[in-house]
Parts: sequence; structure tokens; C-alpha cells
Amino acid sequence: MNTQTVLTAMLPEHILLLGILLLLVLEIGSRREREFLPVTLVVAFAAAFAAARLYLGDYAGTPFPGQFSVDPTGSLAKAVVIGMTIPVLLMSGGEFRGPRFSILLLSSVYGACLLFSSDSFLTLFLGIELMSLPVYALVLLAMNRPESVEGALKYLIVGGAGTATLLLGISFTFGATGSFELAAFAQAITLGDPLARAAVVLVLLAFYLKAAVVPFHGWAPDAYEAASVPVTAYMATVIKAAVLLAAVRLFVGVTVPPSLVALLAALPLVSIVWGNLTAMKQESFRRMIAYSSIAHAGYLFFAFLGAEPGRYEAVVFYVIAYGLMNLLAFVCLPTGTDTVRDQMDNLKGLFHRSPYAAILIAAAMLSLAGIPPFPGFVAKFLIFRNVIDAGYTGWAVAGLIGSYLGIYFYLRVIQYMFMSEGEATAEAPPRAAVFAASLVCLLPVILLTVFPGWLIDRL
Amino acid sequence: MSEAVMLNWILFLPMLGIGLLLLTPKPREDLMRGISFAVMALQFLLTLCLYAQFDADVKGLQFETRLPWIADWGVYYHVGLDGLNILLVLLTAFLGPLVVAGAFSAIKKDVKLFYSMVFFIQFAMMGTFIAQDLFLFYVFWETMLIPMFLIIGIWGGERRIYATLKFVLYTAFGSILMLAAVIYLVYSLKTQSGINSFAFTDLYAARLPLNAQILLFGAFALSFAIKVPIVPLHTWLPDAHVEAPTAGSVILAGVLLKMGTYGFIKLGFPLFPGATAAYTPIVMVLAVISIVYGACLALVQNDIKKIIAYSSISHLGYVMLGLASLDLIGIQGAIIQMVSHGLTAGGLFLMVGMIYERCHSRDLAAYGGLAKLLPVYSVFFMILTLAAVGLPTTSGFTGEFLVLMGAFNAAWPLYLAGSSWPLVLACTAVLGVVLGALYMLRLAQQFLYGESRAPHQPLSDLNLREKLILATIVAAVFALGLFPDSFMHKTELAAREYQERVMAQPAQAWVMNEPAGRNAP
Repeated sequence: MNTQTVLTAMLPEHILLLGILLLLVLEIGSRREREFLPVTLVVAFAAAFAAARLYLGDYAGTPFPGQFSVDPTGSLAKAVVIGMTIPVLLMSGGEFRGPRFSILLLSSVYGACLLFSSDSFLTLFLGIELMSLPVYALVLLAMNRPESVEGALKYLIVGGAGTATLLLGISFTFGATGSFELAAFAQAITLGDPLARAAVVLVLLAFYLKAAVVPFHGWAPDAYEAASVPVTAYMATVIKAAVLLAAVRLFVGVTVPPSLVALLAALPLVSIVWGNLTAMKQESFRRMIAYSSIAHAGYLFFAFLGAEPGRYEAVVFYVIAYGLMNLLAFVCLPTGTDTVRDQMDNLKGLFHRSPYAAILIAAAMLSLAGIPPFPGFVAKFLIFRNVIDAGYTGWAVAGLIGSYLGIYFYLRVIQYMFMSEGEATAEAPPRAAVFAASLVCLLPVILLTVFPGWLIDRL
Repeated sequence: MSEAVMLNWILFLPMLGIGLLLLTPKPREDLMRGISFAVMALQFLLTLCLYAQFDADVKGLQFETRLPWIADWGVYYHVGLDGLNILLVLLTAFLGPLVVAGAFSAIKKDVKLFYSMVFFIQFAMMGTFIAQDLFLFYVFWETMLIPMFLIIGIWGGERRIYATLKFVLYTAFGSILMLAAVIYLVYSLKTQSGINSFAFTDLYAARLPLNAQILLFGAFALSFAIKVPIVPLHTWLPDAHVEAPTAGSVILAGVLLKMGTYGFIKLGFPLFPGATAAYTPIVMVLAVISIVYGACLALVQNDIKKIIAYSSISHLGYVMLGLASLDLIGIQGAIIQMVSHGLTAGGLFLMVGMIYERCHSRDLAAYGGLAKLLPVYSVFFMILTLAAVGLPTTSGFTGEFLVLMGAFNAAWPLYLAGSSWPLVLACTAVLGVVLGALYMLRLAQQFLYGESRAPHQPLSDLNLREKLILATIVAAVFALGLFPDSFMHKTELAAREYQERVMAQPAQAWVMNEPAGRNAP
């Protein structure tokens, strides 16, 4: 262990940790209610900047050999995840007095950062747990509503089951290969004896559970609806992105063997179809987004059928496009209590109350539906191109037809906003922070719409 | 300004128009209308300049721009004009200002959004026509759905939500399969020749095995056939037309339907010559069915918009017949017929819109004897009706006559060789002309003659704006009918090239095996 490497390589994590400590001290030191938003924001910005800097400098370092190493792909993933937290922070400003929200959020992001640098299953497990545990608490922060408690509990229990599955998978992997290194997973895939196969399946199922792939999706709609809007936005974007990016790290060096194709393609396909079908009849906006995110988890796992460089490219582009679009939709949701914001009826006539918000939500929905020219289309194209390049044309066609099922419910949101009459009351202009959050999402979206090549060439 | 730059200006002017509209303060609706008209008129003028500069004796693309867009995948921003798209670009730019002017009095709600969406769809349509890169083409192709969804859904009639969802879901289904085909096509090109490219010219050169060609052709053809629409995939069209606002109907009939036929002539047939050779008979049969079936349905409708909608199905059947005949005259006739249909159907929808603004009814039975009530209106209506029927000296005659001539040209050698079905098809297509006269004259007779009645009286005849709009269209109809030569000359080389591409026997015969280096699916 080299002290200097530990200091530079872990810079994003250190900044996050300092931020958490600072917030704790501030909380202890002051008895008045305060906004901790500016502090948190500065911390997140600094951490994202540090991560991006490490990436752009092609920095690589190994502060803890065998456990924790930093490479450009990991730094990029950190930059993406921390960057997506910034709009979440901005939109949450008024809803949580006190630092609890910020501390929990930063801890969760810290966990996600550990994931992208983990070299062994131990660090990976630590990262996943550190990322998930604060979110259970975050969901519970909205506990003034009775259904919140239920949703949080469900999330906790199912999440715990996921943890247990992961641990079992890890120990089987250890049993089959005698190693805790992440590379042991790739080894286990090639091994093919029953223990190794069980290990692969269990680890994969744990990831499916965290990413909400059918049939392990049951927690998502309830948890999404139970939490307050910023927390839902965080779960739908940052957590999902982190799980998928970690899975990409886990799959480094793996060419998917035919025996695994059924698991890697069938469940995601079911997820796409089921998620899209169920989303059609939801009357709550966040439940709809939950089912949509279940479908999107399906598309994302499709990417793993493809070969290595394309897989990374597809997943990174997809989580960025998908995350930005979801954040944009959540940021622009009309104000009100969580229950009011949830109702689809509340969106009716939004265009006349607030054209800016309505147009941005519409763009987000079209992008999620994968309709060009929005980045969601290029992302979908990337995924299915890789699947076809890998020779799985049949699966790709099935997945594309599954994605067709999703168009209707996204259009329904636009129909509500533009084509239905709503109450005539004018929407209050958004707070400056929320407006800033929408800009933080909008500018990269415009960049990716006009020049998708800019990002793709850099991956 | 060089011509290539001018073409880019033509493409992006509508986006500039949206920018200007966004800057206009909300209450200044008249200013918005003025801006929209001015931008569209400018676009038309620029297009006219380009049309004049377009050299009919040069093969291939002119006024090209080619810039890397997604360099990693070989996707280029590649636009240019050739003989296949030049007339359609001209038609799109020509209808633009008329659509805008036609909506001056009809659209009172959300004016800013409306003209923004008209600009947006104009941008997407223009882009689809001039794109020379498959990825770019697909992006523009799909983008068209968004503004049309909103135009029908916000400013449409009573069942607008149903109609607009049906329109989008129908078209999107075709597009999804086309997307899979696009990816697979580009992938096969890469495995076959090592080129990572989406350029049309590279893809034309790809020689796929016949079984792959058939599947890919099926996916492309389904998407295009829905857009045309070819019977039996037409059911979205009457709903969309009837519920759309006038401007929406004009864009739909005038330009959007041509996307399907343009897709066939630019991509569907020439990309897959093997599959085309195998499936032209089916395409021809479906085209003739569309001609006759569309005409028969038009004959029994009582909603004026529906009559014109079904007549569109019939008229686009001719286009498909001409394209599938693979005879030079037939192909050129099909292109002329596309433009002609854009003018006549667009004009008729504008006229229906004008009477609807006055009487708020589209029910044919509610009207009669308008010739006495609205003499100027009736003259224009009669001219456009006769043009749609295909009276000589109008554009409709040129188009239909050439297409039928092409069909007979193609059928005759086959008849001499002993197969008579192409001749039967061609003769059946002629039946469509008779039916066409029947339903259009039935419409004109009930509408213009007989006892004078209208749901809302007294009626005011056309005002100056409306007269100017219709006079422009009528002038274009006669120009195309009286001097088809100059227009056809511009398309001739491209039509020849298309013909060669589709008829060409590939160097290696179509082998029934997979390209080398492919895993099992």
C-alpha cells in the first residue's frame, strides 16, 4: 500500500467521505434548521470533477492490490454516477430539512464508487451493501405516508434476500475456483461443473434482483411509489446505473457461453415484455416509471450477450441516456405533495400550465420509448446492434418487438399533457434549484441528441 | 453561397423557424403566422433555385454534403439531391407555405406549438428525402411521427386521440422491424466486405444471399407499405385523415404518404434486387388491389374527407404499380404521379378545410348546389377534381397515363412469352381509372350541383388568401400536366439507374447459404 496512491487514486471517495463528515459536524454544531444543500452540492461537484479528471488523464493506480484499483473505465463510471446525483440533490432542496438526506445519499454514492473499483468479491459486496443500505433508510424518510413504511419494508426484505443470494453465490464461486477475485467469476463461467454453474446463476440472480429484472422485480413499483420523488429519481437512475456498470465490471473478459444465453436473454426478454405491458395500465406516474425501469433493465442485460468492447460502450451510453431522461422527467414533474405528484391525472393539461416542463417531460418520454432523434434511440440501437453482431438475431428481433410494446404508455403521458384539458390554475414557476437541475440534465441531452458520436467515439 | 450549403439551409430553415417562434411573445399570434409563412416561403424559393441549378444530365448525387456524425460506426451526415428525390423535395417545399397559409384562420389554439410542429415535420420530411445514409434516413423517418402525433392529437376532430394513437402505433410497428433489418443489413455488409458503412451506395453494392434478402426486404417493405399505405395495411389512413386538422391532412396526403413509395424506390427495391425479382408479382397484385379496393371504398363514403382519403389509397396504388413494373416509363410516371397526387389531394383537403371552416360539417349529404352559392370555390373544386380523375392537360393524366403505359409495356413481352396475368393486372388497373372518375364525379355532382343547400348560411365565397393558395396549386397542376417533359427529364437518369440496380443480375448468383463467418442465430 502506497500512501500517495491511496490519496490520489481514491480522490472522489475521499471528497465524498469528507463531505459526509462535514455534514455530520455541521449537524452536531448547529441547532437551527438549515439548508445543507450547498455543502452537499459542492462535495458532489468536486467528487464528480475528481473522477472525471482521473478518467480523462487515463489514470490507473492500485491503492489496495487485489481489492481496490482505479482505471479509466472505473473513473468514468464514478463520474457518471456522481454526476447524475447532482440533479437529484438540486431537486430535493426544499423537501428535506436537515442533513439526513444528504448524508445518506452521499454514503450511497460512496458505495457505488467502491463498486467500480472493486477487484475482489469482498469489495464488491461492501460496495453493494454500502450503496443499498442508505437507500432503505432514504425510502423510509417519507414515512409520514403509511404506504411508505410498507414499501420500505418490502424493499428491505427483498434487498436482504438479494444480499443473501449474492453471498451464497460468492461462496460457491470461492468453492469452485478457490479465489475471491472478480476474475474468478469469469473463470467460473468457463468451468461448467455444477458448483461453478450454481455460483454463476446465483451471482447473476442477485444482480437481476438489484436491477429489478422479472421475476425479481416485485419490490420496485412499491419502493418507487413509497419514496419521495427525489429518492425515486435516485433509485431509478443512479442505483440502476451503478448495478449495471458493476455487472459490466464483473463480466470483463467473459464471452457468453451458449449455456448461459438462455439466462442472459430469456429473463431480460420477459422483463421487457412484462414491464412494458404492465406499465400500460398504471395510474401512478412513479409506478409507471418503475415498470418502465424494469423493461429498461431488460434492454440493459441484453447488452451482455454482445462482445466485450461493444458491451461496455452500449451499457455506458445506455445508462447515461436513460438516467438523464428519467431525471429530466422527475425534475420537471409539477410540484405538490408526493401523492399528488404521482397521479397521472395531475399531468393533464400540463402544457398549458407549464409549457417548459411539459415539453421536457415529452422529450424524456419519447427518448425512453426509443424514438429518434433523442439519445434513447441511439442507446437502443447500440444495444441491439451488439446483440445482432454477436449472432443472436432472433433474440434481438424479439427484444425490439418487446420494445414496441412500450411505445403506447409513453405516448399516453404526452397525450395527458398536451391533449387533455386540465385545471386552469397556473403552475408556480419552478424554484431556481429545480430549474438549474433541469438545465443540468437538458444540456447533455441536447449534446447527445445532436452529436451522439461525440460520446460514442470517446468510449 | 454554394449549392451544397444551400441544401443544408433548406433542411435547417424550419429549425431556425422554430427558434424564431420560441422568441416571439405569446400574444403576438399574427406575427407568428407571418414568421412561419416567411420562413416556409424562403425555403421554397431556395429549393426553386436549387431545382433550377440541378443538372439533369449528371448521374448520381448533386449538391452533396458528407460529414462524419458517429465516426465509430461509419455513420455520416450525408445529404444530397438526385433525380429520385428532387421532385419530392420541390413538392415538400412547395406545399410548406401553402399549409401554413391555409391554417391562418383555422388554428386558433396553441398557435406557437402548431407552427413549431409544422416546422418540425417539414424538417423531418425534408431530411428523409435528402438523406443518403441509412442511419440518418431512419432517424428522420421516425422523427416524423412525433410532430404528426401532436398535430392530429391536439388540433384534430372528436376521435383525434384514437386516430393519432392508431397512426403512431401502426407506423412504429413497421419501423421497429425495419430497425432490426437495418442493423442486420449493415452487419452483413461488414462481415461480407469489411466496410463499416451506412451509406446507400455501399449498401446497394452488398450482395446478400436470397433468403436473407427476402427477410430484410419483408421488414423494409412492411414499414414502407404501412406508410404508403398498401391494402390491407391501410386502415389507419382514413381515421388519421378524417380526424386530422386541415394542415395535418394536407401534410399527410401531400408528402407523408410519399415517404412509403419513396422508401420503396430508394431502398426497398434496389437494396434487395433478388427479393424484388421474386416478389414484384405480389407487389403488383397488392398495388392493383389497392387501386380497385380504394376506389370502391371511396365510392360509398359519405364523409368528404374519407372519399379523398380512400382515393389516396387508390392513387398510390398506381405509384406502386409503376415502380414495380420496372419499366422506365412506368417508373418516371410513378414519380410524376407522386407529385401529382401531392398537389391534387393536398389541394382537395385544403378545399374541404375551407368549407369546413364555414359550415363545420364534412357530411356529403348536408351539401348541394354549391356552384350557385360559392361560384369561385366551385371552379377550383372542379379543376382539382378533374385533375384527380386524370383529365388530360392536368398532372393526374400525365401520372396515371405513364404508369399504365409502363404496366402494359412490362406486361406485353410476358404475354407474348405465354403468361397472361401481368396483362390482366394492367387491365384491372385501368378499371381503377373508370372507378376514379365515378367516385370523384359523384362527389362533385352531389357537392356542387343539384338543389342548393349547406348546413350554414349565408356562405361567403373564398377570400383573397384562399384564392391565392388554390391558384398556386392549380397553376402547378397545369404546369405538370402541360409540360411534363422538363420534370421528367430531371428524373430520367435516376430512374434508369434505379431500373439497372433492380434488374441487375449480381456478379455472384444468389446463393442459398449464409455469408461466411456468421454464427448460428
